[in-house]
Amino acid sequence: MHETGLAIEVYRIARGAADAQDGGALESIEVVVGELAAVEPDLLVFAWEGVVAGTADAAARLAVAFRPARQLCAACGEIPEKAAGSWLRLCPRCDGPLAVSGGDELDVRRVSFMERERREEERQVAG
Amino acid sequence: MTEIDVRQRVLAANIAAAQALRSGFADSGTLVVNLISSPGSGKTTLLEATARAWRNRYRLGALDGDIATERDAERLRQSGIPARQILTGGACHLDARQVEKALVEEGSRLSDLDILLIENVGNLICPTSYDLGEDFKIALLSVTEGDDKPFKYPAIFARASATVITKSDLLPHVEFDLAAVREQIATLNPAGRLLVTSARSGEGMDGWFALLESELEAKKAAGAAVLAT
Repeated sequence: MHETGLAIEVYRIARGAADAQDGGALESIEVVVGELAAVEPDLLVFAWEGVVAGTADAAARLAVAFRPARQLCAACGEIPEKAAGSWLRLCPRCDGPLAVSGGDELDVRRVSFMERERREEERQVAG
Repeated sequence: MTEIDVRQRVLAANIAAAQALRSGFADSGTLVVNLISSPGSGKTTLLEATARAWRNRYRLGALDGDIATERDAERLRQSGIPARQILTGGACHLDARQVEKALVEEGSRLSDLDILLIENVGNLICPTSYDLGEDFKIALLSVTEGDDKPFKYPAIFARASATVITKSDLLPHVEFDLAAVREQIATLNPAGRLLVTSARSGEGMDGWFALLESELEAKKAAGAAVLAT
């Protein structure tokens, strides 16, 4: 189950992005998972909960945006129909070849975090 | 609350490590093949046959990914080529950093090769996502696994430059519709090649060797073109 390794990478990237802005606890992270990325969104969320458990970011929520792959016909454009569990080879309208594009996304898109809680002495210096 | 756009690839660290490996392989003119299949489909056996045929002709080397045991690397060393086992300790795939570490630790024995054969952990799913700096992926499918696998595990069969059917000597004994597999591969990966082989009987092995040799020539030619500029 490589979703655990991926969840660790997502956490590393999100935490790094928040740290770069002196941010506090992570609140939510949005990732994009393509249909062909060989990643199961539910398993990624399950793995995420295990990765952040026990950290200051334990309440952070992982939201997965799923991106289907697209089938394109040179003559007819986008073809939404699919063979069960797979892709069509020929366009159902004109019998021309279909090209499969996209669907391989696996990106961290957005990170939200809280303001860092400062200790009393820091507040006094800052204030 | 602060919200920021990150837009970073989850596997950015692996992609960077793989690019560094690829650049090193381009410098040394080494052809790198990433072999992916289910456990028991015959990756090591195909590499043993390759090693025995070519050990005096090309500088070959292998990396073998497994959860446990040194068995595969030992088999390939017995076949006359340098090989190093990468034990993942439970992980279902190899990543580029493990490959880099193994090559550094092995030093001169696995450097300046003509062909580096990377045998991934037996798994049709997870290894697909991890670039190892290879020139291409090869998917293996043995005739005993069933003829429905390309559609059931589409990602690897869509991305492999070639699918190698193995154990073809068993075809008379199993129900395996080669035409159905050919049709599935054509659907998923119109540019993908299909080879039918048996390392035991030798059937189709010339096709496998011809594929490696033409890719090796193309790699050397590309390296020579860069040097000439």
